[in-house]
Order: sequence, then C-alpha cells, then structure tokens
Amino acid sequence: MIRPDPQREETRKLAPGYFSYPVFAWSLVIGLALGLAFTRMQGPLQRSNAEPWQLRADERHHFAIAIALEHQHSGNMGRTLNKLIALRPAQHPLDALADAACALGSSGYLGSESGIKALRGAVALYSVDGRTGCAEQLLPLSATDSAPEPAVERAADAGFATPLPTKPPLRDSQGGASSRRLVPTPAAQRSFEARAARSFCDAANPALIEVHVLDYLGRGIPGQRIRVRWSDQEDIFLSGLKVDRGPSYADFQMEEGIDYAIDMPGAADPLDASLSTGACYTANRSTLKSWRITFVET
Amino acid sequence: MRRFLRSLILGLLLGTLAGLYFGWIQFPPANRNSAISELAQRHRDDYTVMIAAGYAVDRDAAGALERLGKLEADDVSAYLRGATERIIRSSARDFDDIRLLVRLAHDLGQLTPAMQPFLELDGGDP
Repeated sequence: MIRPDPQREETRKLAPGYFSYPVFAWSLVIGLALGLAFTRMQGPLQRSNAEPWQLRADERHHFAIAIALEHQHSGNMGRTLNKLIALRPAQHPLDALADAACALGSSGYLGSESGIKALRGAVALYSVDGRTGCAEQLLPLSATDSAPEPAVERAADAGFATPLPTKPPLRDSQGGASSRRLVPTPAAQRSFEARAARSFCDAANPALIEVHVLDYLGRGIPGQRIRVRWSDQEDIFLSGLKVDRGPSYADFQMEEGIDYAIDMPGAADPLDASLSTGACYTANRSTLKSWRITFVET
Repeated sequence: MRRFLRSLILGLLLGTLAGLYFGWIQFPPANRNSAISELAQRHRDDYTVMIAAGYAVDRDAAGALERLGKLEADDVSAYLRGATERIIRSSARDFDDIRLLVRLAHDLGQLTPAMQPFLELDGGDP
C-alpha cells in the first residue's frame, strides 16, 4: 500500500480553489461604495415625486411667488406661511419670499405686466411685518404706488382678530441696546403650533435651539414663553430678548448627549421629536448641529 | 490569476448592484435640484391651484399660462383641463379650489361638461 506523501497532501489542502474569499469580500465592499457614490452623484431614480423643499433655488422662487399670488386671493396668512415653511427656508419664511422676489425682479421677471403684478403681490405680503427687500426698489414706481392693500388690512376687513402683543417690550435702562425686559404675554390668550423643526450647521452658532414665534400674520411676537426640558430639569426663555434678531427670536444653548423637549407652556404642545446636537460639518469644519423651530399662532 | 479575476469581477458586480439598490431604492438621496415639473402630483396640483387663485385676482390669462408652463406640459391648456377633471373626479381638493380651476379653464377655452356645474355655481359665464 502506497501511503500519500504528507507534504503533497498539505499542498492539496492549501491549493487555490475556485474562489478567493478575501478578494471577493474586498471587491464587494469596493463595488458597494462605487454603487452608492454613483447614486449620490446621479440623484434619485424617480424624479417626479419631489417635495417643495427639494426644488432648486430658481424654481423655489417661482413657487414662492405662486404662494404670494394665492395669498392675494385667500388672504389666509396661516396657510400662506405653512406653504412658505414647506420650502424649508433657511431664514424667516417672509424673508425668504422677499429674497425670491428680489432674485426674480433682478432677473428679467419684471419684463411683463404679469411679472410686475405678481411681484407687487409678493411685496404686499412680506411688507405686512414691516419687512423690506430689494423688489420694491425694482418695481416700477406706478406699480408700487398702486400696490394692492397689504393682507393685514384684508384680514382686518374680513373680521379676523389681529392680536398684538399685550404689552410692548420695554427698554432696559440699565442694559445695553441689545437687551429688552419683557413682560410675558399671558399664555392662555394664544395658542401655537410647531410648524417647522429643522437642523442646520453653523460654526458661528453651534448647538443652539433657535425659536421663532409668529402670529398668524407672520409677525414676530415678543415675550412668549418657551420651555425646554431635559432629564429632570427645565428652563423657560422668552422671545424677543435679542433686539438685533427681531421680536420673534429666542434661543437656547444645548449640550452634547442630552435630548431636549421643547414646547410653549399652556400655548403649544411639545414638539413630536426630541432635539439633540451632534457633530456636523460646514465649510470643512466640524461643529455641533443646531435646530431652528417655528411656532405659528393657530 | 483566473481565480483572482473571477472573485474580483463577481465581488464588484454584486457590490455595485447592492450599492445601486441601497442608494436608489432603499435610501434614495434627498435631491435638492428639482424643477416644479418634478414635484409630486399633489404639489403640482397645489401649484396649479395657486396659479388659478392668482388668476382670480389679476385676470391675467397670459401670466397664468406662463406660470403653468413651469409644469412643462406639452400643452398647458390641455394639462389644466386634464388636471381639473381629475381633481373633480377624485375630489382631491376642496370646492373653492375646484371653482378657481374651473374659472381658469373656462377662460382658457377648456371648459368640459364635467366642469360646467361648478361654473354655474360660480355665477355662470360672465
């Protein structure tokens, strides 16, 4: 009986088979990365189910003007603000409308009577809150003069109550120009709803919860109580304390690793999701994610 | 060498297919470069209603047509007719929105029997 050569037996065990698993595994990973990178470069496969916030900048401007056109008909500021907020603007929705009007006015949109009328409507809408943009300077004088009455007047004519802050903000005689002493408006008088909560990455304002409180005409309301709760603690802060950021603005500094719940006590239900910060990158710099919440009067 | 190439090609192929599946189907990218014509149907309808509402104020048919042109339909008037009929059939919008659409469709010469009752409720042919 011939015994197999042990060395030959070992060689046969180690002999290359049909497949190299390490090479397969590595090429699988590389293929996966290539496939994912390709889909990110190409964009979505199905392109006909976009949401308004996914519109590119120029198209978003046209959509915003369409919202202003509808507002001329309905005078419904709540609905108008909702639609502007659905575009997920980086700033106040009416500021975004002013920017859109400015961009379109600067790009030949005013070449037709129809464009002039549309921008006039947009200007009337964002001027409600005393906001200004460049569109009003671009509009022909006669057009500006005959601009339709602002929606605030339409709303008043229609019999809507337009609650104003019950007590105007008081200047703090001791403090500098950048602070106000406010008397909180009694919460029971108003009710609010969180209409937008989106994160953003800003190295100058890391881990911040920015809150805007608007009435249903889109005007900022100072002195509104906003509550942040985490673990077993809570803090109350007020809108309008930072004069340079407008009457609607309030903010709160977050810490990493903590989940925060935000609401307006007695006036708005807590936001569905908790807020937390984490690393984000902007302009090749690592910083902490911030949040922007808008409470709109209902 | 053949063993290496075989493993490499098969791995790349399967990996790429998996990457395309995850990137397009399972976790599609949030595109921020869409045109108004690429909006979901309900948002295209919303846009159409907004233009019709603007028309109700300014009676500017040319402007309304130009704005509806953003939807990139081959025939904007026909698109408006089709969208209005579909919305009436499906009751996808409220009554006031339908009236706005019907008024615009009428003024653009696209009135159909399905729209007629809404026009009559709206005060008929001016």
